[in-house]
Amino acid sequence: MYKKLQSYFRLAGAYTVVGFKANLEYRGAFLSQMIAMFLNDSVWLVFWIIFFTRFPILKGWNVNDVITLWAVSAAGFGMAHACFGNAISLAGLITRGQLDNWLIYPRALLPHLLLGKVTATEWGDILFGYSAYLLLVHPSLSDFALFVFLTFAVAVLFLGFSILSGSLAFWLGNAENVCDQWRFAMITFSTYPASLFDGQAKLFLYTIIPAGFCSYFPVQALKENSLLYASYSMLGALAVFVLGVVAFYIGLRRYESGNMLEMRS
Amino acid sequence: MNAIKKYFFVAWIAMRSNLAYFSEVSGRLIFLGVVLFIFLRLWQVTFGENGAKTLGGLTLAQMLWYLTVTEAIILSSPPVARLVDQDVRTGALSVQLTRPLYYPFFCLFTNLGERFLRFFLNLAVGSVIAYIFVGPINFRADGLALFLLSVPLAFTLDFSVNFLIGLGAFWLEDTAGLTLIYSRILMIFGGMLIPIELFPEWLQPAVKWLPFSSVVYGPAHLFVKPDLAEFALLLLRQTSALLVIGIAVYWVFQTAMRRVFVNGG
Repeated sequence: MYKKLQSYFRLAGAYTVVGFKANLEYRGAFLSQMIAMFLNDSVWLVFWIIFFTRFPILKGWNVNDVITLWAVSAAGFGMAHACFGNAISLAGLITRGQLDNWLIYPRALLPHLLLGKVTATEWGDILFGYSAYLLLVHPSLSDFALFVFLTFAVAVLFLGFSILSGSLAFWLGNAENVCDQWRFAMITFSTYPASLFDGQAKLFLYTIIPAGFCSYFPVQALKENSLLYASYSMLGALAVFVLGVVAFYIGLRRYESGNMLEMRS
Repeated sequence: MNAIKKYFFVAWIAMRSNLAYFSEVSGRLIFLGVVLFIFLRLWQVTFGENGAKTLGGLTLAQMLWYLTVTEAIILSSPPVARLVDQDVRTGALSVQLTRPLYYPFFCLFTNLGERFLRFFLNLAVGSVIAYIFVGPINFRADGLALFLLSVPLAFTLDFSVNFLIGLGAFWLEDTAGLTLIYSRILMIFGGMLIPIELFPEWLQPAVKWLPFSSVVYGPAHLFVKPDLAEFALLLLRQTSALLVIGIAVYWVFQTAMRRVFVNGG
């Protein structure tokens, strides 16, 4: 078991290095995409800074809380998809019968498939998340350690959610549009203060669109230095991840091979 | 006359070919619904916490309708820069140049045809959602006319900047980063997320004179608060910005054409 796990970590490392090198082949494009994503996230912070300059408190949240929210969401999202780049395009891969490429390898399908693509823009998200937190929130060492843990929790959440939403394609056929909309809702809700929502909307944030595990618990954990909230965030993320993996393997039984001839790049 | 007529046909054909993708509307409904719901909650809470009847001169209902229009404008934008970039990189531009159409005008009218259709669909869907959330606002026929008159120049201005970025493909490895940066600047300084009246006072005059506000804020503000003097000022800003950017487009296009080499057989 230990040896198998070690082998997968080595495989993950090798894929990341190869993917990174492939991206660096077009150095200019890689850097510009990374910087663009960094700036994209920064623009949202500018919006919130303008907003909180005018209205300093929003249902108990201040500008630092929103910076923390954006830092943890962006870094987590980036970590989930930087090395596991195929998670975002899972629905399309299933619809077009492109799982065939991955089914022929003697490796567990899902982790191998997810590792197959390194995305340049997501490195910009990671860079943004960590630098925004360090430069704008000025955390203590213990806060920073907790932040790192929470970014991993959020990464697990987003990865699980991408697998779950992408797996819809096993049942719906061409599910790319639905999957995109669902993921868009998740990302959008993850980047607004959770305190804005109550009643039924709150219920949605912990079930159908589980953004609450990103927008509420991590921020509260860092605000109150609470390991309990941090563990809620990780537990919620793991639940979504397990659900995603189960949905993928159940759905895989319905998968029909494609007959498209193509080279895997 | 025929010279102008053919471009209107180009716009008409672009509009008709886009009608084929009507299923996109359902996706847009979810997208707009999520965004407008979040904006509604954000501004409901902000109005409530400040005990204000108006913020930045707008009531809560006007604020949501304003945001509906800004979203409709932003979401209707076709990927001009990407298309021009592709034409340049793939060499498809050489085919376009053989047509009896001036390439920038061909792109402009294709863009306008496509964009007007998308815009009115977005506006229709967004209006239904806004109506359900906050009810109607005090619409006036002359106000709607001023709004409709301001939209074509706004779209032309936005197109010109995107076209200019797309032409960057003659010199740059990748223009996707620049496109993303422009779209985000348009979102924030165009007033898509927050009306310019709520920006810090020292920033407002500069933001109002930047071309971005003439694309988004200007038309949207006229929609909720029509005013003849504001319309005249917007028209002045739009035409002066268009003149400057139009000259830049002409110059860059002429320079780029000197770099085109066609090897054919």
